[in-house]
Amino acid sequence: MSIFTAGYDRAQFFDEMFGPAGEFRPHYRRLAERLETLPEAEFNHRRAAVDLAFLRRGVTFTVYENTEGTERIFPFDLIPRIIPAAEWARIEAGLVQRLTALNLFLNDVYHGQKIIKDKVVPAAQVFSAKHFRREFMNFSVPRDIYVHMCGTDLIRDHEGRYLVLEDNLRCPSGASYMIENRAAMRRAFPNLFHSYRVRPVESYADELLKSLRYIAPPRSDRPNVVLLTPGVANSAYFEHTFLARQMGIPIVEGRDLVVRDARVFMRTTAGLVPVDVIYRRIDDDFLDPSVFRSDSMLGVSGLVGAYRAGNVALANPIGTGVADDKVIYAYVPRIIKYYLDQDAILPNVNTYLASEPADRKFILENIGRLVVKSANEAGGYGMLIGPAATAAEIADFRTKVAAQPRNFIAQDPIQLSRSPTWCDGRLEGRHIDLRPYILHGEKIVVTPGGLTRVALRRGSLVVNSSQGGGSKDTWVLQGDE
Amino acid sequence: MSTIPRSAKSSPPRAGVMLSRVAHSLYWMSLYIERAENVARLLDVNLQFLLDFHGPGDHIPEEHWGSILASSGGEELFDELHGEADSRSVTEFLAFESRNPNSILSCVFAARENARMIRDQISSEMWETINELYLFLKARNVTEVWADGPYEFFQQVKRYSHLFQGLTDATYSRNEGWEFIQFGKLIERADKTTRILDVKYHILLPAASDVGGAVDTAQWHAVLRSASALDAYRRFYVHEILPWKVADFLIFSDSFPRSLHYCVSQLDGFLHRILGENSARPRTAAARAARDLLADLRSLTIDDVLERGLHEFLLDVQKSLDRIGDQVVQTTMLFPADTAPEEHQHQQQQ
Amino acid sequence: MFLHLLHRTTFVYGGEARDSFNEVRLRPRDDETQSCRQFELRVSPGGPIRDYGDFYGNTVHYFDIAAGHDRLVIEAESEVETVPEAARPGVPAVSLAALMASADREMYAEFFTDSRYVPLAPQLWREVQDVLAGGREDIWTDACRLGGHVYGTFAYRPNATGVSTRATDALALRAGVCQDFAHVMLGLCRCASIPARYVSGYFLNFDRRPGEIEASHAWVEVFVPGYGWAAYDPTHDRPADERYVKVGVGRDYADICPVSGTYRGAPTNALNVEVKISSLDALTAVPG
Repeated sequence: MSIFTAGYDRAQFFDEMFGPAGEFRPHYRRLAERLETLPEAEFNHRRAAVDLAFLRRGVTFTVYENTEGTERIFPFDLIPRIIPAAEWARIEAGLVQRLTALNLFLNDVYHGQKIIKDKVVPAAQVFSAKHFRREFMNFSVPRDIYVHMCGTDLIRDHEGRYLVLEDNLRCPSGASYMIENRAAMRRAFPNLFHSYRVRPVESYADELLKSLRYIAPPRSDRPNVVLLTPGVANSAYFEHTFLARQMGIPIVEGRDLVVRDARVFMRTTAGLVPVDVIYRRIDDDFLDPSVFRSDSMLGVSGLVGAYRAGNVALANPIGTGVADDKVIYAYVPRIIKYYLDQDAILPNVNTYLASEPADRKFILENIGRLVVKSANEAGGYGMLIGPAATAAEIADFRTKVAAQPRNFIAQDPIQLSRSPTWCDGRLEGRHIDLRPYILHGEKIVVTPGGLTRVALRRGSLVVNSSQGGGSKDTWVLQGDE
Repeated sequence: MSTIPRSAKSSPPRAGVMLSRVAHSLYWMSLYIERAENVARLLDVNLQFLLDFHGPGDHIPEEHWGSILASSGGEELFDELHGEADSRSVTEFLAFESRNPNSILSCVFAARENARMIRDQISSEMWETINELYLFLKARNVTEVWADGPYEFFQQVKRYSHLFQGLTDATYSRNEGWEFIQFGKLIERADKTTRILDVKYHILLPAASDVGGAVDTAQWHAVLRSASALDAYRRFYVHEILPWKVADFLIFSDSFPRSLHYCVSQLDGFLHRILGENSARPRTAAARAARDLLADLRSLTIDDVLERGLHEFLLDVQKSLDRIGDQVVQTTMLFPADTAPEEHQHQQQQ
Repeated sequence: MFLHLLHRTTFVYGGEARDSFNEVRLRPRDDETQSCRQFELRVSPGGPIRDYGDFYGNTVHYFDIAAGHDRLVIEAESEVETVPEAARPGVPAVSLAALMASADREMYAEFFTDSRYVPLAPQLWREVQDVLAGGREDIWTDACRLGGHVYGTFAYRPNATGVSTRATDALALRAGVCQDFAHVMLGLCRCASIPARYVSGYFLNFDRRPGEIEASHAWVEVFVPGYGWAAYDPTHDRPADERYVKVGVGRDYADICPVSGTYRGAPTNALNVEVKISSLDALTAVPG
């Protein structure tokens, strides 16, 4: 018996695999044929093998409940998400356009501030952004690149249109899962890869290292690049070690580094070794207790001084976070227009700003119908999904929004697209999103595919790993089917 | 403290440059596992010995327990925590007492903590083994151990330690990290041998009438078994077990893996690689100390040692080992162990 | 006026301190009301000192001291020429309506919203209603009224507050030092929709009050469209004049910290601050 049992319900959502009449979309045809001939027992066997491999390799993330951290395997679904070449070409162009504009925006915000003076983005929104770093006003970042790595989250609406949900410019994670998922799929379905001609993602680490080397201070031809991690207690620690190993660079914690006379060094068994570039997976606030949060045990005193003196490069630079503020997000289409004189290829989700009086009124009156998000949090925690919330939760958010409007935005709920996912012995539709990974070195490079995240709980829209999400491999094809 | 390298250009990153913190953790992880195994062996052998020679109701002289406690360095603490020394309280203290930093449980816990901090450096099998040993210890207590028979308990601890060392041997790349692992293990092993020998010899100064008697022989049996050396000794000396021959074997044998000579000779090699010493004349104080110690072990005889005094000789060896260990730590593993929060300075405006 | 300033900060540690990383904001500014003719920063133990200009145009010097030391002495010496009172233009009367309509107000949004030391809490709003109950006048006059109110209702009391006291705490106490007077005035101005910023610096005090320490001083500047930033000192109930020397401006104390940093080692036993200001006018011999 095949894994496709009767009764797969598309409901009213855009389905990745099935078209409006229940037929297989052209680019899923080959996959469907393969799966239909695969006995369920065999399918389960492959699933178990993949899970075991993940367990063995320690592909985990840490979940914190009541301050105790447990390591979990990031649940992985064997049914891939497939994107034909033509569709990807548009996505890629949209992402490149967006990142180009955001980079120009950041440059401007930290130098001439023309976009503010021209009143395209209100000064208040920029200056009150949590991650706007006054300390780096007029600072020249190496190569004028503000965004070295970016993970932009995309969703599809009920018509299958790709929309940008949010940009993640501060330590976007998940690239390691993208690579591990691909390795898992290769083992599970080796022949399918050949027949489909899937574009590879394995070069991510190389591209990442290239873009890191590109910003090294000019003094050395073989720059010492390191990855700075908060340590084992961080939920993304697996990814940090994975990427460091793939790139062949040392992974360090704050206490392994020391600053002497505005230069950064690693403490090694052979003495102090200079560091030229730091790929830092620590938030700005915790980077340097002598300048930012003084209670941070994760950072390096004097790091900011060394950065300022031009003796070490940081990726991403300090202060990049102002552009992934959810309020600034609402202005991105205007930002693209301002710097590039183009319309955004990938539109935003329609967004209301609680800081604008008219929008605020609308939000408070319609809060039960909207998705309300905190402007500065990642991970989906400070979020209200109106239609699914209790009266108490709604009342709570209404108070919060009224009290601190600058900190909230609201969006119309989107009918997120769904993908067939193996749930408890049958194939069911689950909501997904897509996080492609973009690197900015000498050129902007978008890795073909990215991480497709799945909300594993029935009906849930929350895809984050820490709250019941899982992932799928994403296949971008060389051709269109 | 290391100085800043003189060249203004940043040096090319060496393949496998080792962070001080990582070296530190590898060293201590290895050392603590070795220590845990040695305590297990010590307890095992001596409990067997006492059971062989005393009935269950017999009162066992304090000095027997004293010697065991002294070997692992915990007499004062034991006195604070326990009233009387007997097989149960000593086992409790040396195997499970978390307040005793040298108990099997404390050592394994410390080893595990260090392993956890460098988890990405060691193979998953290595980590899983330490983790399993830790869970095994946590799930046991003294009562259970005595009910089931302590022998099996100690065997299990030794088995885990051997498994860990075997896995390390099989899965850890022969790089700088490997050298720190071996260094930690060997320095602990050498130190333990001196203690086993010192304490027993001290206690068991033979009176003329005792030499060759059943108790005496059995006690020296126990010393050899504490170092897993009985069979090797017998092959070397055939059947005569005499105190000075045991001392000679455990100090000077150049083929038995737990003898001082063998350990220090290995240690000397690792030390030179760790400190980057290539020439015939040692540059660092640690290398010099190792060189001198090795020279003694190569040239002295047991008669020289006994004439000077075995106890004094062993004390000197311990001091040398301490010095060597300290200096290696100072030179290569220096990172702020003081994680005291940094102070912030401010002034109010009047 | 020609003023000579010396600001010495001494940290004495109960033992050894090391790995000290510091930022100082001690260099007087250059603007329409003053020019810094000479400036020297001396740090002991010594070492290279670097600097940069921060978001508010303040000069920040930064340095690190790796080696162990039992005290840290930071000395800033400068000569500043301030524009005489008579040469300064008067502050025009600009209405609140005109301010709200002005294109510039938006640029100074952070000067009339919450900041770390000055949360715009209901108590401050209520106080403003009380003080300006008679009706709003022009911005500058209102600001002076608010500043005068602080002067009149607060007691100048050293040791009643600390370096981390916020405006709301000082308001409850009705007492503090100039840092607190400034924070409270900022709170009141901002609640009255007037963009206001914190100024740190010094002033030549001919008549010191009993118990008033010669130290670095704090006051307030408010934004008046068409004029710029007009300065008022709530601790002395008067506009800032040629006796005042500005070092740093910002949203509140956190932005202008004269000396801040971290180090490892023994706790600080003592912190001594000495400020000496004198007028050089009698000795003026500056050519051209």
